[in-house]
Amino acid sequence: MVRVVDEEHASLGIGLGHNTRSGPVRRVCSKRFSPDFGNERDTVEQIIDPIALYLICGLGAAGVALALPRRDREGGRTMTIVGGLLLAATFGLGALMLGLKAGASDSPLPNYFFYPFAAIGLGGALRMITHKRPVYSALYFIMTIIASCGMYLLLSAEFMAFALVIIYAGAILITYLFVIMLATQAPTGDKDELLDEVDAEAREPYLACAIGFVLIGLLTAAMFRGIGDLPQPTRDTTLAQAEDAVLLNLPRKVDRILERNDLLPEGWRVARDAETGRAVLDVDARTITLELVDGEDAHGHPNVIATRVLTGEDWPADLSANNLDRLGYNLLNDHPMMIEVAGIILLMAMLGATVLARKHVELEEDLKAAQARKLGAYIGDQQGGAS
Amino acid sequence: MLQIIQPAQLAFPEPVEASVIAPYLFVSAAMFVIGLVGFLTRKNMIIMFLCTELMFQAAGLALIAFGRHHLGADGQTFVIFVLCVAAAEAAMALALVVLLFRHRESLGASAWKELNG
Repeated sequence: MVRVVDEEHASLGIGLGHNTRSGPVRRVCSKRFSPDFGNERDTVEQIIDPIALYLICGLGAAGVALALPRRDREGGRTMTIVGGLLLAATFGLGALMLGLKAGASDSPLPNYFFYPFAAIGLGGALRMITHKRPVYSALYFIMTIIASCGMYLLLSAEFMAFALVIIYAGAILITYLFVIMLATQAPTGDKDELLDEVDAEAREPYLACAIGFVLIGLLTAAMFRGIGDLPQPTRDTTLAQAEDAVLLNLPRKVDRILERNDLLPEGWRVARDAETGRAVLDVDARTITLELVDGEDAHGHPNVIATRVLTGEDWPADLSANNLDRLGYNLLNDHPMMIEVAGIILLMAMLGATVLARKHVELEEDLKAAQARKLGAYIGDQQGGAS
Repeated sequence: MLQIIQPAQLAFPEPVEASVIAPYLFVSAAMFVIGLVGFLTRKNMIIMFLCTELMFQAAGLALIAFGRHHLGADGQTFVIFVLCVAAAEAAMALALVVLLFRHRESLGASAWKELNG
């Protein structure tokens, strides 16, 4: 059964309840090439007041322009504090406007935890580009990374959150810290004369901030207009398809879960399809077929003695593909070529880094001679010891 | 109206409406632009490369947010490759910075002004 969703309401994407009827949903995208601007503006206005959005962008631009590094004799310290306060006020205004808008309509807000994570992430990013000392910039970037890990957790991407901590905060940023410490003489204070010349002031702060925050306004407006046209996923279509695809291909995982729930008698297992090796189960109808296997026949196929079907009430509550299963299955099943390409990129980067950072050591003539004598004596000792 | 945090690994995530991921997209856009402004204004080459990492991070957040909306794993898979490219970029960029620092004894991008052409 295919239902056609009414485009007029579906394109808003907001304020509609979830579809509860079963059956795949097909959307008709008749408006893709004939944009209706009135309708699109509604989508932005449902999320945030456009005037507030552009006000936030302007205030943010002014704050960043003030907070960027400046020489102390030009009042750098005071302006940094003023810029910071302005940015904090901007963030508060943004959260308030989003909240007011969401409270007025009945569209849901993100989780409570989103707001502190966003504040820490953006604050860390701002302090990173405004701090005069590179080591502190790198440390603030680690703070941003950890705050975005929090946002990944809220978006149910658990594996990527922890991978980000390990790879970014644990490996990439430590490499940055090492290079910063190698390449700069660490100053002991924040005084301008102690700092490296390149860190003392920013280049063209006003122009860059103006252009940057026009870009934020455009990006945000474009994205907020676009997400109104996203198809609204519904539990009955997406869930069943995604779980089917992963669970069917992981019969041993299904075995383990059934065993954990004491649903698998001795010698029984989930039935495998003879040709594809997939598990025989139906997520929609909540049925699992089990089989009793005894040895193998002449062709190496398992010898199935008996089968039985577990139905709805026996379906274990924890029989579902978790985030890690789905991610691993997607990575290895849908993008195997990309893994090879990633391997080649990393290998080339390693070789390139080694070649670039290699140091040519020029030894003096007498030093070389002394080393040769030492080597000769060592070889002589070895031969003497052997005979 | 407000969702309480749920034991995420137990069940397949619930579908969310577009207004839930919109703030994440706003944070992602802001983070990207902060990285861009930092790249344009700072003179220290290490900070400039750090700002490109920030832009990668912002793109990753947008990918994860859209992946959450579509309830698929493709967004997360792509973030793995973003991480991989970020790692490769960090290795190459830092080797290059060390090399350039040895030549001019300065981390400033303006030490290489003659490359303007």
